[in-house]
Amino acid sequence: MTKPGKRREQLMSLVSGAGVTPANPPALLPASDYFDLAGEEFGARLLLTTGADGLQYCLRPDFTLPIAKACISGEGVAPAAFSYLGPVFRQRAQGPVEFEQAGLELVGQPDPEAALSRVFEFTAKALGIYGVSTPAVRLGSVALFEALLEAADMPPVWRPRLRRRFGSRKALTASLDRLTSLNGNTQTLAGKSRNELIEDITGQMLESGLSLVESRTPEEIADRFLEKQALAVAKVPEKTIALLRAYLAISGPVEQALAEAEELFSANGLSLEKPLSGVAAQAKVLAALLPDAVLSFEAGFSPRLHYYTGLVFEIAGEGGDILASGGQYDRLLQSLGAQKEVSASGCALWVARLEGEAGR
Amino acid sequence: MSAKPVNEIILAVPSKGRLEEQSCKVFADAGLAIERPGGARSYQGNIAGHPDIVVRFLSAGEIARELVRGNLDMGITGTDLIHEASQNGAEKVNIARALGFGQADVVIAVPGVWLDVSTMSDLSDVAADFSSRHGRWLRVATKYVNLTRRFFAAHGIAEYKIVQSLGATEAAPASGAADLIVDITSTGSTLRANGLRVLEDGVILKSEASLVVSHNRQFGEQQQVLLERVLAAFAN
Repeated sequence: MTKPGKRREQLMSLVSGAGVTPANPPALLPASDYFDLAGEEFGARLLLTTGADGLQYCLRPDFTLPIAKACISGEGVAPAAFSYLGPVFRQRAQGPVEFEQAGLELVGQPDPEAALSRVFEFTAKALGIYGVSTPAVRLGSVALFEALLEAADMPPVWRPRLRRRFGSRKALTASLDRLTSLNGNTQTLAGKSRNELIEDITGQMLESGLSLVESRTPEEIADRFLEKQALAVAKVPEKTIALLRAYLAISGPVEQALAEAEELFSANGLSLEKPLSGVAAQAKVLAALLPDAVLSFEAGFSPRLHYYTGLVFEIAGEGGDILASGGQYDRLLQSLGAQKEVSASGCALWVARLEGEAGR
Repeated sequence: MSAKPVNEIILAVPSKGRLEEQSCKVFADAGLAIERPGGARSYQGNIAGHPDIVVRFLSAGEIARELVRGNLDMGITGTDLIHEASQNGAEKVNIARALGFGQADVVIAVPGVWLDVSTMSDLSDVAADFSSRHGRWLRVATKYVNLTRRFFAAHGIAEYKIVQSLGATEAAPASGAADLIVDITSTGSTLRANGLRVLEDGVILKSEASLVVSHNRQFGEQQQVLLERVLAAFAN
């Protein structure tokens, strides 16, 4: 049996292997980057401190953001492959925790699908080091959900809103429930034209000293006001809501779940062959690398972060703890300031949990 | 730390203004008159006939924080401050008796001119659309960071950012510091004066001055008796 020291050595050589550059971002980072990227909900998990300069800093909660950010320069983003191994810090309900993560970040690769395969290989090798051969793999696809939203019949304003809630079953269900029972209130100003509304709103904003440009604009308020009234008449079709609910309920062994999805789409007259076969192909690559793993596809599974774009995955060991997670996030670099979308994928490994699995 | 058994309890009372007056009044009405021999400049007091109850005068915020941390046995403070003292502040204490004063609501208020926003669901739509329209998150000014996070999470809203505000929160939308606020209000007049409107389902917490016992303390037998005696005086 391999000793812990030996496993450590193997992990170190995996993260410093050929073709990757070990990254070592600072443990102390400006907190605003995380708040700007992920908002308050993720911000609540940061360990914060305030500098003598009055700025807020946090202890590194992950490696992805500082690595991705460092890739962005004035000349655009060059293809890069970074690996890492080191401590991260998070705030949990019971208090602050420090733990070690290892991982891989592939940025701007010419073939994004080949890059994802490389992420899978890295993950499978790491699992191999710790003797994890029968993990439970949970797959989700942001690409498939986005394609479904695009194809489904609904007023366009609802697409980004539903997308924003993808990843939180509770928030998404609440939205669908609300769509079912949507009714307009706000009759008070009914009958006014858009221009009259804008004029009214502008007047009120000036009166209460609100900026017309810094926050919501008069046009924006008027448009959503009118949209709300319009939606009371032209709702999201019940058929669409039922379709979304049925899709989000899909969960099971990959092949079966994808077949269910395909059947559901065609029953609704939709053809989403390309994203569907995309997921199937990605799952096949992973299945070949982890022949004894149990692979399932869960339609509603995703981190609730807007920058994820393609496949997302989570791998759990026998103890049920997540050992590895990752996916494709082509919108990350753009959210951090890159000029355009840059393909990106990667994974993060929980080192102590992997070591725990080896001890089983 | 202390080897010998502690036979007294520490009762913390708000140190100034109406809260102090009303606290002392409800204690006097309950037959436990609080004395502050050194006047407003002294931060120690006592209860006639109960030498084993030590009274300390502190700010209401400090009382909440120290009860949650377990550095005080019992105190009078607002429930809003208990919830705000730490992420799970309310689990660290026993809110034993509501005292019938200091009532105020922690509410979420938006500019009145946001004609299209009357409920949290409306706000949820606005938050989801906001960053793609304005290139930044919707900003919420408040001193109630924990309560705000919990309430927004309960409504499935993740697309926002808190701007910490330590005073005059109601001015934040007009000054451009934030788009909306979470603040405490008793009559709503300050909010209205600043052109703000409370959402229909925007009451986050109904707060009231309360007698609160710390959970983070190991009470001795004698202390338990004292605590129960004080609580019994407020039985109704």
